[in-house]
Amino acid sequence: MDEIRTRLANCFAAVFPELSDQEIIHASSTTVPGWDSVTGVTLLTVVEEEFGISIEEDDPARFDSFDRILVYLQDISRS
Amino acid sequence: MKLIEALNILERVKQRKGESVTCFVATGMNTLHLGTFLAAELGLIYSDRRTDIRHGLYGDFLGNLERLGGSESDCAVVLMEWPDLDPRLGLRTVCSWSPSTCNDIVSSVRKRTLRVRQTIEETCQRIPVVVCPPTLPIPPLSFVPGSQASSLEIDLHDLVQSFASDVSHSAQARLLSSQRLDMLSPLRERLDVKSELLSGFPYKLGHASALAGLIARLAAAPVPKKGLITDLDDTLWRGILGEVGVQGVSWDLDHHSQMHAFYQCFVNALSSEGVLLAVASKNEPELVKQAFSRKDLILTPNSVFPIEVGWKPKSESVTRILKTWNVGAESVVFIDDTAMELAEVKAAHPEIECVQFPTNDSAAVYELVVRMRDLFGKRMILQEDSIRLDSIRHRQTNAASIEAAQAVPNSFLDQVEAEISFDFTKAPLDPRALELVNKTNQFNLNGRRYTQASWQKYLLDPSSFLATVSYKDKFGPLGKIAVVAGRRSEKLNIDIWVMSCRAFSRRIEYRCLEELFAKFDVEEIELDYLETERNQPLSQFLAEILGRAPFPHCDISRQDVANRFAEIRRCQDMTNG
Repeated sequence: MDEIRTRLANCFAAVFPELSDQEIIHASSTTVPGWDSVTGVTLLTVVEEEFGISIEEDDPARFDSFDRILVYLQDISRS
Repeated sequence: MKLIEALNILERVKQRKGESVTCFVATGMNTLHLGTFLAAELGLIYSDRRTDIRHGLYGDFLGNLERLGGSESDCAVVLMEWPDLDPRLGLRTVCSWSPSTCNDIVSSVRKRTLRVRQTIEETCQRIPVVVCPPTLPIPPLSFVPGSQASSLEIDLHDLVQSFASDVSHSAQARLLSSQRLDMLSPLRERLDVKSELLSGFPYKLGHASALAGLIARLAAAPVPKKGLITDLDDTLWRGILGEVGVQGVSWDLDHHSQMHAFYQCFVNALSSEGVLLAVASKNEPELVKQAFSRKDLILTPNSVFPIEVGWKPKSESVTRILKTWNVGAESVVFIDDTAMELAEVKAAHPEIECVQFPTNDSAAVYELVVRMRDLFGKRMILQEDSIRLDSIRHRQTNAASIEAAQAVPNSFLDQVEAEISFDFTKAPLDPRALELVNKTNQFNLNGRRYTQASWQKYLLDPSSFLATVSYKDKFGPLGKIAVVAGRRSEKLNIDIWVMSCRAFSRRIEYRCLEELFAKFDVEEIELDYLETERNQPLSQFLAEILGRAPFPHCDISRQDVANRFAEIRRCQDMTNG
């Protein structure tokens, strides 16, 4: 599980290079000023590429924070 | 390249202090990840500059084409997909699919490609334009099954091919190779339906990455290599000449050595394009001479100069070849089948590109030639390309007389019936002038390089001037061999002064100064001089006139030049007794 967290943090660091490691794990679309629709799409694309998955984004709110994306990734890794 | 890699590269590129390379992408799609990949690829090519990708409005392809004309970019990309030529060919537009719709689509695509072509022609007069015809599959609008080519598919491809053919004949536009793209990005791996619907970006990441890589290389147009040094045994031909004899080496189907013939064809083609060719081989000179006399040799022996054959280290042969050509190692490729020889040459000349010729691997030889085409490829062949080798031969033949004449230049120039001509026409689209500015190292005032856009901007300044210098003598023409550019104010400011190394030892540099003083009727010329790692020849020339080492913004007076000429004449009188 730590490995998923680290890889996800790397994705966040690439899309939001101005964030510190600590800020990344608390990042959400409401706390990060640069998190708009374009960076949101870029973030999910980087995550898809990194984890080799395809995210069907029917509910964008599911992917609006580091924590929520981490939970999603942990869920699909268990299934 | 993965998207995360591109983002990380881009972050490093943003930290750079250098000037930005700006690239305007005219397309109707959302550039999204393509823009990221393109910025990263350009950042890798321009290692000291930042990159700035600009684009117009989403869905407004024609409007963005118009915006291209007004943009202040260094380069432009016209990237069109089928919906840019007719929205009915996209996923985001709903329309009825019927045979009459198909006919109407063909008609509208015809009109739109004509308009796109006109805009490209206008824009590429100012800046380099990379043109990408549609890369995605045509949606299944036609009634025929997918395994059958429909008239819609054929007609649309025909229109795009015709458009591409017109663009490819333009000297300025750079058409992306659909064949190369096909090799890098299979058609079925290109369209991302989900992304197109979600964000208006229709490409899968792999396709976006491949496309951006090709666009960046076309936009940046790296300087092609100037010379190829090749080995002979198991490279130009199969077999060891010293072991199997002149008739034992082969390059044909019968001996399963056809790829050596393929390589010879390629090397011949390079020669006809103005690339310098030389041989560095450990062999008996007499045997090589006999092998080069074989009637079935595909390589034209006359196109190779010099031929260095012997038993000393190959690095020594390479050193002599580079000296004869008077080009830097970074402009040269050395091909040999032996890893040890490559390593020995690389150790002596770290900047040379060393490539191993594959042994008994036909597919690898094919790949090697494809790679070489990239290294030596140029957008057009200039007159200077066709006379380069001859002028080097003549320089070698007359090396002794040239050296002896250096102290008495006027007599030498008279002897060889030299004609130096100056053309002060400002021709921003003359590719030779910009090529000289960007390729010349040794006789170069400051080493500054120009993009096509910055070069044109410089020349469009009303206060600027451009002098292109051509030379010919009884041995033949050297073509355009020098460029001087600057601005006229109280005195004359020279910003750019380059001269091809082929024109050294003819004192053309003195004639340039004489001409500038006469043409602009000034007493002083200020030179935007900067010392570079390689411009010692120019520095020495300036030191001769100034009587001291040159320095930034140094002035040369008409009197300085006159004094130096007087000195030369005194030497000439003393020599003549």
